[in-house]
Amino acid sequence: MMSRFSLQTRRSKDRAATLLLYCAALLLCAGVFFALYFVASRGWQVISWEFITEPPRDGMTAGGIWTPLVGTLQLTFLSMMATIPVGVATGLYFSEYASDNAFTRILRLAIRSLAGVPSVVFGLFGLSLFVVLLGFGSSMLSASLTLACLALPLMITASEQAFMAVPKEYRDASYALGATRWQTICKVVFPSAASTVVTGIILSVGRVAGETAPIIFTGAAFYTPGLARSIFEEVMALPYHIYVLATAGVNIEQTRPIQYGAILVLVVLVLSVSSLGIWMRRRRL
Amino acid sequence: MTNIAVSSVITGREDRDAGTEKDVHIGTRGLDLYYGEAHVLKSVSFDMYRSSVTAFIGPSGCGKSSFIRCVNRMNDFIAGARVTGELLVDGDDIYAPGTDVIALRRRVGMVFQKPNPFPMSIYDNIAYGPRLFGVTDKDQLDDIVRRSLEWAALWEEVQDKLGSSGTGLSGGQQQRLCIARAIATEPEILLMDEPTSALDPLSTARIEELIRDLKKDFTVVIVTHNMQQAARISDYTAFFLMGELIEYGKTSKIFTAPDEARTGDYITGRFG
Repeated sequence: MMSRFSLQTRRSKDRAATLLLYCAALLLCAGVFFALYFVASRGWQVISWEFITEPPRDGMTAGGIWTPLVGTLQLTFLSMMATIPVGVATGLYFSEYASDNAFTRILRLAIRSLAGVPSVVFGLFGLSLFVVLLGFGSSMLSASLTLACLALPLMITASEQAFMAVPKEYRDASYALGATRWQTICKVVFPSAASTVVTGIILSVGRVAGETAPIIFTGAAFYTPGLARSIFEEVMALPYHIYVLATAGVNIEQTRPIQYGAILVLVVLVLSVSSLGIWMRRRRL
Repeated sequence: MTNIAVSSVITGREDRDAGTEKDVHIGTRGLDLYYGEAHVLKSVSFDMYRSSVTAFIGPSGCGKSSFIRCVNRMNDFIAGARVTGELLVDGDDIYAPGTDVIALRRRVGMVFQKPNPFPMSIYDNIAYGPRLFGVTDKDQLDDIVRRSLEWAALWEEVQDKLGSSGTGLSGGQQQRLCIARAIATEPEILLMDEPTSALDPLSTARIEELIRDLKKDFTVVIVTHNMQQAARISDYTAFFLMGELIEYGKTSKIFTAPDEARTGDYITGRFG
């Protein structure tokens, strides 16, 4: 009788725990899907070809999101131009050259800390370094370089892991045939790791495209009449545009549908880029 | 040198003649190898002869694989590895300061325990070495690829699919591909680290046959755990135990009348 009772308690405890954990997971999913539904339901009415391809008009109460959308693409592209070479080179250094000593340990610690720095701090750093000290002004260049710094830890870690994953046997074979370290990197390590590195790049793009804080002080414009023609001009960017529509518009009630439309476009953009990266990573493993 | 001389005295004229006729290709003089604190090879001194097959036998961890990795200086990649004494290839100490390691590895090819073709086409696997040294002429590369594959007894099986991936071949074919890749740069010495331990008996037999052919053109040094294999394919056998060279001499002698009791015990399977 006693043992039967305790068996029942243990069973019900087990059920309760299972239920609790399911609820936690469900709650998380519900939160995410509610947010997506919230954005989609309010944003989808304004989505049209014109919404994508027309610049904002009439104090941003009408028109589309062409200028900030292109601005975000420009910023992302330019920041990747800076992040990819530095990130891949650093990843290569860690994987192929660095030995385990005090210097490399400090370097690794620095990169890990960099990954945990709040994005607004990157913004202020970019303001003082690129905008003021280097004299690039508030511009697409300064904003892109700031975003590049933000994406750097991710890019370095992703490419280091990609290079480390290349089997040692390939390197052994190459060195035993009389290859130099650089020949081995170019002919064996890099080609084998390339697709994984590309995945890292895509994940970095997803990270950079949605950032607001780093670009507010460094090059994002409240409004520009047209697209930026040079990297020294300010640009509109989708995340900042959304912030502006939500807080600083002339007529917030009128801009609300446009705001949700812009959010929807940004969310879809970032989600699809990140999903592509995750899908590519899973396919590799 | 000393060991072979000793065994020659014991076994008579025939061996002594063989020993003096052949020229020394690889020699060591008091070679010590350390991995950090671990003393992996202890004062190893002996000579290996040109165009012969020398087999290294001994239990796991006895230092035989570490030894052959000294000959092409692959131990350089191991943090804390340190070599003292001399290792002579054609009379030159390869651990002397200023030695061109890249040039050395071109003269000393290596085949690894696990077949390790590059994830490239069969053709590109073979052409890898020659391309490193600047061979770009298509006809010349075609010729090298064909000759190397013929040498490695793989040509007939793969001649119609040179463009397909080397990793798609069977294990035995992959290992012959690796042998072809190693000889494509025409080294003088071929080091083989248990080249058949991951293969089935049929593939093993093919590779053993190949090794017997290869010694016409190369000095072969092979590490093996398989006593029969050492007896079948080698001219000379070196028995290592705990980092020491216990006995070295003609394979026929080592396997029939070893001087050291420990050699006999190991060969007959009493330990190891």
